[in-house]
Amino acid sequence: MILWRQFAMEWRLYSRDRLAMFWTMAFPVLLLLGFGTIFRGGGSPKLAVVRVQAPAPSARDAALDQALTDLHLQVQTLTKSEAEARWSRGETAAQLEPAGEGYRLRLNSYLMAQAGATAGLVNQAWLVAQARLSGAPEPQRIPTQVESPGHKRSTNYASFLLPGLLGLNLVSMGLFSVGMVNVSYREKGKFRRLAVTPLPKWIFLLGQVLHRLTVTVLQAGILLLVGELVFGIQNQGSFLHLLLIMTLGTGCFMAFGFALSGFAETSEGYAAISNLVFFPLMMLSGVYFTLDAAPVWLQHTVALLPLAPFLRALRAVFNDGAGLAGHGFGLLLVGAWGLAAFVLAVRRFRWA
Amino acid sequence: MLAPALRIRGLKKAFPKVVAVAGVDLEVARGEVFGLLGPNGAGKTTTLEIIEGLTAADSGEIEILGLTWAHQGQEIRCRIGVQLQSTSLFNKITPREALDLYGSYYPKRRSTSELLALVQLEEKADAYHITLSGGQQQRLALALALVNDPEMVFLDEPTTGLDPQARRSLWDVVRRMKTEGRTVVLTTHYMDEAEALCDRLAIMDHGKVIATGTPASLIANLAIPSVVELTFDGAAPDPAAFARRLGQAVERRVDLWEIPTPDPKALLPRLLEAAEAAAVPFQQVHIRRATLEDVFLHRTGRSLRE
Repeated sequence: MILWRQFAMEWRLYSRDRLAMFWTMAFPVLLLLGFGTIFRGGGSPKLAVVRVQAPAPSARDAALDQALTDLHLQVQTLTKSEAEARWSRGETAAQLEPAGEGYRLRLNSYLMAQAGATAGLVNQAWLVAQARLSGAPEPQRIPTQVESPGHKRSTNYASFLLPGLLGLNLVSMGLFSVGMVNVSYREKGKFRRLAVTPLPKWIFLLGQVLHRLTVTVLQAGILLLVGELVFGIQNQGSFLHLLLIMTLGTGCFMAFGFALSGFAETSEGYAAISNLVFFPLMMLSGVYFTLDAAPVWLQHTVALLPLAPFLRALRAVFNDGAGLAGHGFGLLLVGAWGLAAFVLAVRRFRWA
Repeated sequence: MLAPALRIRGLKKAFPKVVAVAGVDLEVARGEVFGLLGPNGAGKTTTLEIIEGLTAADSGEIEILGLTWAHQGQEIRCRIGVQLQSTSLFNKITPREALDLYGSYYPKRRSTSELLALVQLEEKADAYHITLSGGQQQRLALALALVNDPEMVFLDEPTTGLDPQARRSLWDVVRRMKTEGRTVVLTTHYMDEAEALCDRLAIMDHGKVIATGTPASLIANLAIPSVVELTFDGAAPDPAAFARRLGQAVERRVDLWEIPTPDPKALLPRLLEAAEAAAVPFQQVHIRRATLEDVFLHRTGRSLRE
């Protein structure tokens, strides 16, 4: 009953800060709109090659251009000086230029992922063009198929991004905004008056966690709706499973934020502490790179962190329509971290 | 027999740079309005916050309504009401919501409409806290202190920063608390407030209680019940030579001299004669009763407002 009142009051006060509420809801949507627009063209980001114009284009050049287009490469033909300028700005991943009798491919060492894939396609195109010029049969190519790791139901890159956005958003809400707000309210003495009442700390904190949890679920709902309406991104799994995973994850990372806020005296101090937790969590989550090369003990340790299992379960349900089977341990881990963080938060919490 | 409302023994608290409370003993009877009077930095607020359970003491014993924080913290919280020196609430909460919310934390509570009427905030009941004036915020804080119908109320500088009219209306609320049988402990650095409201006082300075008693007894014990003042047009001159001539202590305030005396009737003719002889350019002569201000001055050598 007190918990319900506390929760309801949090919502009431929150809803009065229209601007903050608007941006909390709008920010992930804007991110989705931005990324979604960039990557809307089906598969992964489109590969492009810069073609330096030959002084006098030959039949061979024309055949190569045709083959490049047939292999779905985006060709941008530029004069030598334009191409050089673009190259030195670092915007070109791969550049195809005439060299002596043939061609040469320049690959940008900073953009090797795109450049490597592009180089493969350019070489295939060159083989195709040569065969066509000599009247030989069209070379056979091994067919490729793009699909997400689980099944192949949602192949679109934007729909791969959406669960990532959901996850990132609630981690940053938990670690940054929730904890920060808590520390700054304590700094301003907003909790002191509560300290002289018999209100138990855990009810106060749980009220806040529940409030944030519903905010995040609402936020996720809006994000899913916009994804569906604008980009046709669909949740492939059960909404109930999605809700369960989101609830566990939100609870876990909100509790993280509250626990951390108990260790900082000032908002500046909190910013430092939360980064200390946020970056290892992100970097070691397997989102950016795999840890196959890391020492075994580190791999074992990292496997117990909550972010990776949370994102894995989220993507499995959302992108691949999987059930929760096989994610039980991971979700248990998320729940256990959440509970431990909450207990720590209550123990460390100070009113003033 | 009922335990006293408050009993404190040997209370001490030091902060890294300053000793805030340096051994305080107090006893407050039930139903009493008790004042802690002293200048800023005397340790009043720290003493109060230790009693309220907000700050931990280094040493000393506290009993509130016969209860101790170590064993009956939750019961103490339920039976006391607290107004902090500055009550910082959420900007966009309304007085009605705040009273409803804080009331919901207690097993026993007074109705919100009754409290709003008591502190005359009915018209502002649904305005955001941030839009209230300083006096209105103080009155809301006072209402919050009464939300659980407490037996004992702690008020930390309840009228600081208020205009005279707002102060008077707050005094009325405090007097009302007394007639309702509550024990009130308040801090103030206004001697008129202490005289007007308090049954008994403790005067604090540098973390210690330097005198305790009723306002009247504190003044009577001073043995100099009257003060003769010579006022000047502008800054008062150095009184040292004149004091020697008069054979009596003369204290200089900004634009006046003060001569404390047990017998103003005998002093006055001598004083005027000496002043005339020394050609002291004073404007007016006043005789007044000694006040708590003089008690403080006499005990510490400093004025309350210094």
